[in-house]
Amino acid sequence: MPDTLSIKRVSASSSALIPLESLRSGGPVYSKLVDISKCIGCKGCEVACKEWNDLKVEQTTNFGSFQSHKDLTPNTWLLMRFNEVEDGDDLNWIIKKDACLHCEEPGCLFACPAPGAIVQYQNGIVDFNQDNCIGCQYCVSGCPFDIPRFDKETKTVAKCNMCIDRVESGLEPACVKTCPTNAIEWGIKEDMLAQADKKVERLKQRGYEHAALYNPGGVGGTHMMYVVPHGDRLEDYELPAHPTASPGQLRGLNFLQRIGSYLFGFGIISALVHFLAVGPEIPDENG
Amino acid sequence: MSTPLLRRFSFLERITHWVVGVTFVVLLLSGLAFAYPSLFWLTTFLGGGAAARVLHPQIGALFGVGIVVMFVLWIRDMFLDARDREWLGAIRHYVAHDSEKVPPAGKYNAGQKLFFWVQSLLGIVFVASGLVLWFPEYFSAGLLNTARLLHYAATLGGGLFLIVHVYLGTVAYPGTARGMIDGKVTPAWARLHHPRWSGDRVDH
Repeated sequence: MPDTLSIKRVSASSSALIPLESLRSGGPVYSKLVDISKCIGCKGCEVACKEWNDLKVEQTTNFGSFQSHKDLTPNTWLLMRFNEVEDGDDLNWIIKKDACLHCEEPGCLFACPAPGAIVQYQNGIVDFNQDNCIGCQYCVSGCPFDIPRFDKETKTVAKCNMCIDRVESGLEPACVKTCPTNAIEWGIKEDMLAQADKKVERLKQRGYEHAALYNPGGVGGTHMMYVVPHGDRLEDYELPAHPTASPGQLRGLNFLQRIGSYLFGFGIISALVHFLAVGPEIPDENG
Repeated sequence: MSTPLLRRFSFLERITHWVVGVTFVVLLLSGLAFAYPSLFWLTTFLGGGAAARVLHPQIGALFGVGIVVMFVLWIRDMFLDARDREWLGAIRHYVAHDSEKVPPAGKYNAGQKLFFWVQSLLGIVFVASGLVLWFPEYFSAGLLNTARLLHYAATLGGGLFLIVHVYLGTVAYPGTARGMIDGKVTPAWARLHHPRWSGDRVDH
């Protein structure tokens, strides 16, 4: 069944502060679930992402890793990161799908000054609308996961859009569709949470006592969640332990902006009152 | 019969003042557009949001150059002396236009001197944080967010200063603005607002 895309939040608008209620409440809220323990690092998802979203191919070089690109780019929205982490005498080979997590409380959207450049849908997808992007890159510093990438040619920012055109038509995102081991699953968020519980339980039975679900509360939860075998060592997966959608500096900025508009008004009114009280001081040209 | 006018500001001083003044107003309006979604339409005057994002820092660079020239031109006259401290003690008489009770000011009164120093400090904050925001790809997210906070805090100070500056220079003290237009003021204006300076001028 195709889902209509109803909007939840729009950047630089009142709905950035107070999310809109869905006209048809109870619509599906989706989530990806990435089981890091099941990924074999085939990078099929990377290819599917490039193909479906028609993203430019970039020349890659071997830098001593199975990793294809060094970093995400405006044309590489999904990157399998390969990291070798020493674990006592053992070596832990971590393969992590790096892409937008589609936060429930999106720091990028809160930081964005351009009306309509970032839109969050009721179904959980956070999408950039490059037509409205002004290229300031505030979303880059607003994102706790370092995901958006600036395109120097188009002077706009890009990231994973959760294959919104597929989701709109009732399909799963391309990376999910192509994954041969079901390491990436797709469904209603509640179902995915239940699925994650089972996966974590199974990992614990297999001896991964710190296995955990990554669905951080600091950003209101995410619509791409990870099942991590070593939940006590999130830094190994380059996942921030306490990501936040509103860092202290931006909270301070919002506070200043709110009192600032009153202060400017106060300044103008004070000048008016002063003028009415004492008037101009005119030099006596005959004195 | 026409009284001879006193020359208050040179051409270089005036052009520098207006470069800083005009760029600051344009920067303030486009900056407020970025700070307040309800004012985003102000970017229209610079050709829309994307163009404003490109032009704001370029105009800011010109503003920065202007601030530096201004600093070099005026710093010599801006150090506070003992009489300035008396002036500050009597600031309420100045505000009430009780000019007999205001200790005589030199070329600049203590308020103007403090304005100069605070404005120079704000200029440094504007330019330093502005450079970070101009080239975000070279800085960390934490530093960028801090730069946004500082840039706006400076805007608050600068915006309030602009209101006070324009008010005092135009409607509150008629005859003042002319010093920044053709560079001249009347002797009566100088005797009223800057007696020590007018004394200097008359004596020579």
